[in-house]
Amino acid sequence: MIRIDDRIKRVDAVSKARGEAEYLSDLRRDGMLYARMVRSTIPRGRIGNIELPVLPEGYYFISAKDIPENGKNSLVMIAGDWRCFAEGDVRYVGETIGLLVGKSRAVLKALDDAIKITYEEEEPCISIDDSIALKGGAILGEDNVHCSLVSEKGEPVDDVLERADRIIEETIETGFQEHVHMETNAAMCTIEDGKYTIYASAQCPFYIRKSICGLLGLTPDDIVVKQTTTGGAFGGKEHFPDVLAGPLLVAESVIKKPIMLVFDREEDMQFSVKRHPSKVVFRTGVDKDGNILTSDIKVYYNVGAYLSSSYVVLQRGVFHANGVYNFPSTRIRGYGMATNTFPSDAFRGFGAPQTLFAIETHMDHIAAQFGIDPVEYKKRYFLRQGDETVTQGHIVEKVVLNEMLEQVAAKSDYYRKAAEYKRGSGRGIGMSFYNHGGAFTGNGEQAIIKAHLRLRKKGDKFTILCGQTEMGQGFMTILRKIVAAVLETDIGNVLYYNPDTSLVPDSGPTAASRSTMIVGRLAEEAATLMKDHLDEDEAEVETEYRHPEGHPWDQSTFKGDAYLGYGWGVCCVEVEVDPLTNEVKVDGIWSSHDIGKAIDELIVHGQVNGGIIQSLGYASMEKMENRNGFFRQTSMSDYVIPTSMDFPRQEWGLVDNPYEWGPFGAKGMGELVFNGADAAYIDALERALDTTITKIPMPVEDIEGVRR
Amino acid sequence: MIEFKLNGKLVRFEGNPLTRLIDVIREDLDLTGTKEGCGEGECGACSVLRNGKLVTSCIIPVGAVAGDEIITIEGLRDTPQGQCIIDAFAEGGAVQCGFCIPGMVMAAQALLLVNSDPDEDEVRAAISGNICRCTGYDLIVDSILLAAKKGKGLW
Amino acid sequence: MVEKCYIPSSLEEALKIRRETGARPLAGGSDLMVQYKQGIGITPAFPFPVMIISKLEELRGIRQKDDGSVEIMALATPDEISQCPFMPWHVKNAASRMGAIALRNTATIGGNIGNASPKGDLPQPLILLDAEIVLRNCDEERIMPLDEFILGSKKTALRDDEIIYKIIIPPVSYSYAYYRKIGTRKANAISKLSLSSLITIEEGVITDFRAASGAAGPKVIRSRESENILKGKRIDEVQDVLPSFLDSWNDAISPHAMPQYRRNTTRRMLEHFILTAAGMPENQIIE
Repeated sequence: MIRIDDRIKRVDAVSKARGEAEYLSDLRRDGMLYARMVRSTIPRGRIGNIELPVLPEGYYFISAKDIPENGKNSLVMIAGDWRCFAEGDVRYVGETIGLLVGKSRAVLKALDDAIKITYEEEEPCISIDDSIALKGGAILGEDNVHCSLVSEKGEPVDDVLERADRIIEETIETGFQEHVHMETNAAMCTIEDGKYTIYASAQCPFYIRKSICGLLGLTPDDIVVKQTTTGGAFGGKEHFPDVLAGPLLVAESVIKKPIMLVFDREEDMQFSVKRHPSKVVFRTGVDKDGNILTSDIKVYYNVGAYLSSSYVVLQRGVFHANGVYNFPSTRIRGYGMATNTFPSDAFRGFGAPQTLFAIETHMDHIAAQFGIDPVEYKKRYFLRQGDETVTQGHIVEKVVLNEMLEQVAAKSDYYRKAAEYKRGSGRGIGMSFYNHGGAFTGNGEQAIIKAHLRLRKKGDKFTILCGQTEMGQGFMTILRKIVAAVLETDIGNVLYYNPDTSLVPDSGPTAASRSTMIVGRLAEEAATLMKDHLDEDEAEVETEYRHPEGHPWDQSTFKGDAYLGYGWGVCCVEVEVDPLTNEVKVDGIWSSHDIGKAIDELIVHGQVNGGIIQSLGYASMEKMENRNGFFRQTSMSDYVIPTSMDFPRQEWGLVDNPYEWGPFGAKGMGELVFNGADAAYIDALERALDTTITKIPMPVEDIEGVRR
Repeated sequence: MIEFKLNGKLVRFEGNPLTRLIDVIREDLDLTGTKEGCGEGECGACSVLRNGKLVTSCIIPVGAVAGDEIITIEGLRDTPQGQCIIDAFAEGGAVQCGFCIPGMVMAAQALLLVNSDPDEDEVRAAISGNICRCTGYDLIVDSILLAAKKGKGLW
Repeated sequence: MVEKCYIPSSLEEALKIRRETGARPLAGGSDLMVQYKQGIGITPAFPFPVMIISKLEELRGIRQKDDGSVEIMALATPDEISQCPFMPWHVKNAASRMGAIALRNTATIGGNIGNASPKGDLPQPLILLDAEIVLRNCDEERIMPLDEFILGSKKTALRDDEIIYKIIIPPVSYSYAYYRKIGTRKANAISKLSLSSLITIEEGVITDFRAASGAAGPKVIRSRESENILKGKRIDEVQDVLPSFLDSWNDAISPHAMPQYRRNTTRRMLEHFILTAAGMPENQIIE
């Protein structure tokens, strides 16, 4: 029998450590063929001629022409604009033009090298600024704007700015970030029991079905998707598996043999989705003492060639643009800009990290201008329960940021160090505050997803059926632990398998920090219902998500309670900068998070550590540049992510603040822990160097430019 | 023909000596516990032991291991040392997505073979070529220290 | 494009194959296997014949000679070099910071030199120490300064029938030593910039001064002309000549990317080392 607070071993740890867990590339099938993508080599232009070499027997070239007449060349993510195969024109470097399929990967490579594609090239538009300036002519409509929205509250911003003593203007920018899940993108398509069957390293099996079925004029139920053990995802396998599965499905319809597609690292670096680069433009109205009267913010995200899921990413960016602060008046305008870069897509935080970094850094700069300790300054504006949000809804839960701040300040000795380390002394300590709205925005969980979960009893075993996936975050263990704890049984009696869409109900995507909070709750409810059936040998219960009453949301105007439960975070980072080389040594990392309640403290510990290190990598070393449509960093030696020696051991803490509608009081946390260490690091760096930094990442060569 | 020992058994390879060791292990011998993360010796997911020393099998041609003794995760996992490390990884919360972990276990074994009582800095140095994107490393470091403690006398 | 691959069992055989076919030696594989990789499940394709020399005993080992010089055979790994008790400090340091453990067990000094990457870790301290390289073909041995052997980025003076046999580091003494590698991160990193330097001060006079800059131009940079500005100066003159030395060194390096960072940092490191050495009471390593 297990209790929720017991320390347990993750259920998947041993099989993974023994090398027995089967990842996609470990699968073997008789007669299996391999696929290789043929991709565009220019960022923008018309496809002229595609000249194929002679294909040996048993080798195929699959392209848009193989989509049947009743099929549509569209991958339906949130928008359906991403084409499965480029046709007529190409819009970014690496766009799929065709798929080579055959037995030998060496032969496929040689065939790929021999294909000659001619283009009529056009001038590409790469950056947000290029896009605003309509470089090379508009890509999309007349203004290159894929999507836009406005959030505002309080007195009209223009009126307040009029009477402000000062308007503080600045622009904060963030770069591309690559997921670098250790397992590259991979999928396989075959036919099992007469049905097209996709195996994929993926977060959202049901998304794949929906996205690709239209290619062959099928319905989602005509396709089975089976998730394989997934070696990291971080958002990079939320929609992107569709880009592999789509062409594989079309190929399967022609070839009818198992076909495997595994990206090597170079392909994964150059030809997969990234975090949206951003540019956040502030005009903040303050009075003579530095009090904020209004914030006027423009948020630009580089969406790339296709909209895919970016409108939702932008919405989250806008909704988080005032950070954890309550300003009396605000206007946030968001624009998703079209460019000829690889489409940007989900990445842990889903649009929130960019604006949170921007507001934190902007607040630091205002505080510095008025000679106030940034922490003291920010504290004045902390959101509290009942406060109005930027979507004119309210903060529903109790906010304990002050308690968290004190926890972190005590552990890090912040106040002493902040006073002692003079600006420009080479040492600095910085602190950031952040949050993350859990689950889908507004009533999306009820209106869009309608998550279902089933719990089946057979003898003394209970099987949980839902579409959520384990991708490393620990969900498999969390889910089984919740059910076992409710049923007061051993975790070994509760079963859960990687989802197979033909066997489990759709419980929505494994994204948006919703799995524990929403689906974990459904599991808790199902287990509670199951208690009435414990004397039966076989029983089944099903639960469905219901949105709590009294929290309206209007998706057409984006007004109302955007999120019922936020995760909250405080992170403190201490640095020492080498005066000769600009190398930054991090001397301490302290954090506190409000995630409602930890279902499994060891898993939470790992998530906190990992999220914070990813964020510190984002702020410091993870530089991904795009020149003329090509990513310059193409390998793990060019695009570096932190090693075990880059950052010291972390001290971390939680606060107990149970969430009314989460399982055992738990809220989302997977994304939250990414959302703030970057700003704490930059704050510390600015203080150490007595300078102002307005962009990340900041590797040594870029620090050179801001040294005083 | 190239002969070498893999997990205690003699392997005879008759193909191109420039074939990457990882492809011989994963494709020819179907031992899929060794993972490919980067293909250029940068990430450590494909780590194996060659004559007791840690190497990345993605950049070594099989022709260069003639006469050597190679140990993969399959050859380590059921030994007392391997079991000790794997148990410690599970107990210590070292495993998330797991893709880097077989390589990480090999790196831990390579360290413990030469230093059965490492301190934290030595552990961090020993796994600095094994990239993990999930954990931030602290719990992996703790787990290796735990293995050293619980497995006293094994190395 | 499958070219022939040989596996010689002796140095003599290797040299014969080299002469007859021009096959390029592949030692650890950490450079060549990556450079010519084709992807998962595909054998790397070399546009030239290759010979795998990793098992040639004649090319292994590190020895110290009676005159104090150190001979490093071509197949010595960075791990062996970093563990070697009599290895000169600069070289030991560079070897211990090369990549991570697995790479240090795989790469070889011969390969690191033969690859002639401007970012290579070992040539920089070796050139500082006036190391020589010994090359062999079937008939003879040729010896030349390493600084002359490496011609530029990825270019060496190796002849088509030769292989790298060993490196000789002459005996070295100094009062103060300096080595820095700034990598892309703290470990397992490629060099963004590196510098080593040494200074000998006898009775208040600088009798020897050397510096070598890595990743600051197409090859490792030594500038005797610049070094001569400091040599023979009394330490109380250092302040006066330092600016002209630093300007001269700045003219000698030619960083292509990140020029501002590489130039300024090189200048700051040299200035720091020289001024600290000039003000120090005792011989030591300066961080």
